[in-house]
Amino acid sequence: MRDGIALARAGRPAVALVTSKFRPQGEFVARAEGMPGVPQVILPHPVAGIGMPAMAELAASITDELVARLRGERP
Amino acid sequence: MSTPLLEAVDEAAALEQLHALGCTDGLPVVVPTPARVARMVLASGLDADIELGTMGPGHGVATVEKVACAAVMAGCLPDHMPAVVAAVRAVCDPVFDLTEMQATTHCIAPMVVVCGAARGAGGFASGFGLMGPGHRANVCTGRALRLAMMNIGAARPGESDMAIHGSPAKLSFCFAEDEENSPFAPLATTFGYAPGQGAVFVLGVEGPHSVLFSGDADASASATALLDLIAGVIANRGSNNSYLGGHAAVAVVLNPEHAALLARHGFDREHIQAELAARAVTPRAELARLNGKMLTGDGDPVPAVRDASNVHVLVAGAPGLYSMVMPSWCAGPHGNRAVHAPVALDQACELPLHG
Repeated sequence: MRDGIALARAGRPAVALVTSKFRPQGEFVARAEGMPGVPQVILPHPVAGIGMPAMAELAASITDELVARLRGERP
Repeated sequence: MSTPLLEAVDEAAALEQLHALGCTDGLPVVVPTPARVARMVLASGLDADIELGTMGPGHGVATVEKVACAAVMAGCLPDHMPAVVAAVRAVCDPVFDLTEMQATTHCIAPMVVVCGAARGAGGFASGFGLMGPGHRANVCTGRALRLAMMNIGAARPGESDMAIHGSPAKLSFCFAEDEENSPFAPLATTFGYAPGQGAVFVLGVEGPHSVLFSGDADASASATALLDLIAGVIANRGSNNSYLGGHAAVAVVLNPEHAALLARHGFDREHIQAELAARAVTPRAELARLNGKMLTGDGDPVPAVRDASNVHVLVAGAPGLYSMVMPSWCAGPHGNRAVHAPVALDQACELPLHG
């Protein structure tokens, strides 16, 4: 989340990827860092260690949403 | 008092309100009434609005008044307040990486070591059971720091403090160095303090891991065996230090008997640090087999601590079979380093008898 906010502050399109278990923390950090509206894509938990096939499937499933948010086409 | 006040019909209702608001560590607290907080501010000798630092992850400003509130809630006596102030100053040092430390999934907790004249002034224990329970200064000072980290730093379990299990050490982890029974120079002198000067040393660590050892005081092999045992706990196969270590600090608390054995065979603090750093290593293939995804860096064997000066060695506890090792977390922008701050012992204002 902090990385996403740092990128956004630097004027770069940014989306924070947050797993569902960490969504409360992501929202806390976004508020604490003064950017509660930073775009987020929520992923299932866990992501680490799920193996390459599952990771590729997950990446494919979020690509359209990720690109749309980076383009500012979705809030 | 400059911060907004809560209201309750009595102490019991106030306590339940503080629990409900998530302002406690789960244990009952002393209700921080304005009079009690004002008395604790006086004990600091500082103005209430002086800022000691910023505490992440919530970026709350740690004023003396807010820290005094935490000290009251923790059950501190006014005599403990200078050490609490120093501990808060220390963890607000950017090198400590408080924001990241509070947010991590690891069980890291701040270990506060009270040094020099601050020990006697606050009544801090350095002997039997110093890590708890039963020693008010130790327990309450460590608890005050935790309550400051929760209520000023806004670290709340599952929301902004993501420790997977947490740790009993996160409730309170504070004790004094036993300088009188140590064959080594006081710990604080390694950070540039004069012998006897009041100071706190703080390192983010896991809870204590015990090291069982009974040797022969006349046998030099006993000294090296003890060093090997301690090194084995520093570089235990499950610890972050084995995989991510290198630049992080760890702490070793020798009991006076183990310290005397090492000193008798010619080991001073620097020698012990060097020996432990050299011995706390693991074959790379072994770590790769066990937990290869977590293995970083290069070199074989893999050192748990690359810089011997990051093995912080001190003496405390009663004589006997056990010493303690505190492995660490090894993450954060500064890599889990120790911090320190002086304890101001001559600043307290005269306290009213009641309040």
